[in-house]
Amino acid sequence: MTLQDFVLTGQWVFLAYFVGINTGYLLQNVIAAHGIRKYLQTADQYEAENVFSSLDIPISLVVPAYNESVSIVTSVKAMLQLEYPQYELIVVNDGSTDDTLQKLIDEFGMQEFPEAYRARVESTEVRSVYRSTRIANLRVVDKVNGGSKADASNAGINACRYPLVCVVDADSVLQPDSLRRVVRPFLEDPTTVAVGGTVRIANGCTVRQGFLEKVGLPKNFLALVQVVEYLRAFLFGRMGWSPINGLLIISGAFGLFHKETLIEAGGYNPKAVGEDMELVLRLHRLMKKKRKPYRITFVPDPVCRTDAPENLKDLKGQRVRWQHGLGQALALNRSLITNPRGGAVSWVAIPFYMVFELFGPIIEVAGYFFILICGFMGWLSWPEAAIFLGLAVGLGVMLSTSAIMLEELSFGMYPRFRDLALLYFIAIVENFGFRQLTAIWRFQGLMRWLRGGEHKWESITRSSSLMDEAK
Amino acid sequence: MEWLFRTDFDSTTTIALWSIAGVLVTTVVLFVYTMGLRFATVAGDRRRSRFLAAWRDVFAAAMLSRRAAENIELPTVSRDERVNLLEEWNRACSIVDGDAAENLMILARRTEIPALATTMLKKRRVSSKILATQTLGHLRDSKVRQRIHALVEHENTALSITAALALVAIDADFGITVVVPMIERRRDWPKNRVSVLLRMAGSERISEPLYRAIRSAEDDAKTYLLEFAWLIEAQVLDALVTDLLRENKDPGVINASLKLVSGFSGVPRIASLTQHPVSFVRMQAAKVLGRIGQQEHLSLLESMLDDREWWVRYRAAQSITSLPFLGPNELRRLRDRQEDRYAADMLQQTFAEAGLA
Repeated sequence: MTLQDFVLTGQWVFLAYFVGINTGYLLQNVIAAHGIRKYLQTADQYEAENVFSSLDIPISLVVPAYNESVSIVTSVKAMLQLEYPQYELIVVNDGSTDDTLQKLIDEFGMQEFPEAYRARVESTEVRSVYRSTRIANLRVVDKVNGGSKADASNAGINACRYPLVCVVDADSVLQPDSLRRVVRPFLEDPTTVAVGGTVRIANGCTVRQGFLEKVGLPKNFLALVQVVEYLRAFLFGRMGWSPINGLLIISGAFGLFHKETLIEAGGYNPKAVGEDMELVLRLHRLMKKKRKPYRITFVPDPVCRTDAPENLKDLKGQRVRWQHGLGQALALNRSLITNPRGGAVSWVAIPFYMVFELFGPIIEVAGYFFILICGFMGWLSWPEAAIFLGLAVGLGVMLSTSAIMLEELSFGMYPRFRDLALLYFIAIVENFGFRQLTAIWRFQGLMRWLRGGEHKWESITRSSSLMDEAK
Repeated sequence: MEWLFRTDFDSTTTIALWSIAGVLVTTVVLFVYTMGLRFATVAGDRRRSRFLAAWRDVFAAAMLSRRAAENIELPTVSRDERVNLLEEWNRACSIVDGDAAENLMILARRTEIPALATTMLKKRRVSSKILATQTLGHLRDSKVRQRIHALVEHENTALSITAALALVAIDADFGITVVVPMIERRRDWPKNRVSVLLRMAGSERISEPLYRAIRSAEDDAKTYLLEFAWLIEAQVLDALVTDLLRENKDPGVINASLKLVSGFSGVPRIASLTQHPVSFVRMQAAKVLGRIGQQEHLSLLESMLDDREWWVRYRAAQSITSLPFLGPNELRRLRDRQEDRYAADMLQQTFAEAGLA
């Protein structure tokens, strides 16, 4: 193969990748728009009729916490005020080295309780279980540090008493009606085993007593870009997969599961870097193996807000971790890939994730170097390069515009015209620098997975909105 | 800059150029549509506020007095406000009953509400049909009974259950004969809506059809229907539960029946279920024995404390703890004599829960 052949072949590979990924995203967009419209057709009516107000599927809310002393009391108070007829709150103190446990004891009158704890899924040793003397539905599981959120979540799952389990990050800001909204698929379809909801960025919002008071956009550029990213990721990234039962991720920040199925699947994998995705893949695997009809679904309602990294170091850490987790989760559940009865998961979702999400960064990063080298060597036709660059940017902007449209169509959370204008501006500028940077970080994450790496609790520097609230 | 005006691109680049044009047009369309949505939302919010400012007092007055409902001056309703009128009137109807509900119907007949709802029922949009069905149900308009009846079979859950409720509101006797046989088939109907519907019809009207539906159903359907059996009249329910516990072998049906046991009927059978191979049946049996609270069952409950299933042990311990003839000291002695660690641990937990630890 001559150098010219190599360059020509390279061009076609990049072109095929480009066409493939954008076609995939466009299809997801169409499916998501249809799904959201259908969902919203009756959502208002369900709300007005209060259809699910007194239904009898109680929920256990599990909140794993490690060194959350700064915000745990506010978070728990907020979670105790959720609008749902029957739920219990189980906070798991994963051997915190700060005074997380003591704060809970002092604030809620927690007392050690001789609970006949049963370990149905793997976790490190539980030291004691506490029950609130003031709030009947609050318990705290104090355990030896297991080194991961997955391990702490499992201890919480073991202590659950209700048929549905909702695992929530301790620093998540929940919508007061989040449980009512996310439980809807379980009520509509008894074969539902897991449900995810839309997670939004908390940065820039005003939070009082753990509840969202006012929606706003962050001033920090990185957080702002992530607002648009999250709109894309959830409103069509997830919503696009859900109608074909091909959803592979339910965010670790907020997910609702059928407890017995979750336990049958073995709970969270403490060794997984992306424990949320790994669990969803394992649930798919379990249900395919059982050959029973099931649904893993997604509701577009914004149920929870979470803090986004505001500096490059944290953001890089997060993206490297996500990519590492993606590779590991797919590898651990590789039997799904070749499952002839795997349906949309095995034949559409996983191949798409493997080619475009997992190995995509290799093509993307190679593409940047390819252009640089060709330009340097004088092999690049600048007009053609400009046209393809224009198309890439245009498609990126179009997809973001579509996500903003879906947001406006569904929830219209940003009521000021100024906010909308800012989102459109970000949709354009993120294409110059930010996307390239994340491609490089994802490439690094991929390399870290290929080399093998360990996982432990990781935290980000909190945005001021949550920190101030906790003071 | 002359390359900007070149036309001699190869076919791939030409496609890319056309794609850019397509992407640009789509982006602009999406942007304009989003802005349109935003303006429509703002306008809709303002319209609703205006409507509420004019109508809130009218609804309030009508709810309180029949005279006001008949005579109060009605603000004009613009074409755009018609949906608001229906929505707000339905909202008012859903929070009142008795005379206030009758007064709202009188008020509605003085407005375009009945005609609007009948027109909206013909629209294709599901949300319009739901609003219309709900309105006609609240109006108890028997002229549209057949059309509402047809909507009960609609595949959309919200529309079909709204139609079922409306049908029962319009003609309870007819509605129950239509709806009860459908309950098992329409498992997408939210259970609390089904309960509301059955309650609305009244236990004397639903007891017989529901009893028949349960008796004739397959085991799986029986289990599902039994979730609504608590709405049946007490003596019919008692007979039903006794028969099902005696005749049926399906664990799901037994479990559902046990949940409905309120008296002493079928006690010997319940006692034998403490040895049932399926754990949730044993668990339910333990619960029922606790509810019945008879001394002769203490040893049975005690034997369940070392069951292999956590929930059976827990319910047995809870039942023992709640037995009316055992005081704190007797309970502690009972705990201390347990040789099995799991049994003692479980009693310890339920004692703590009951504040006895």
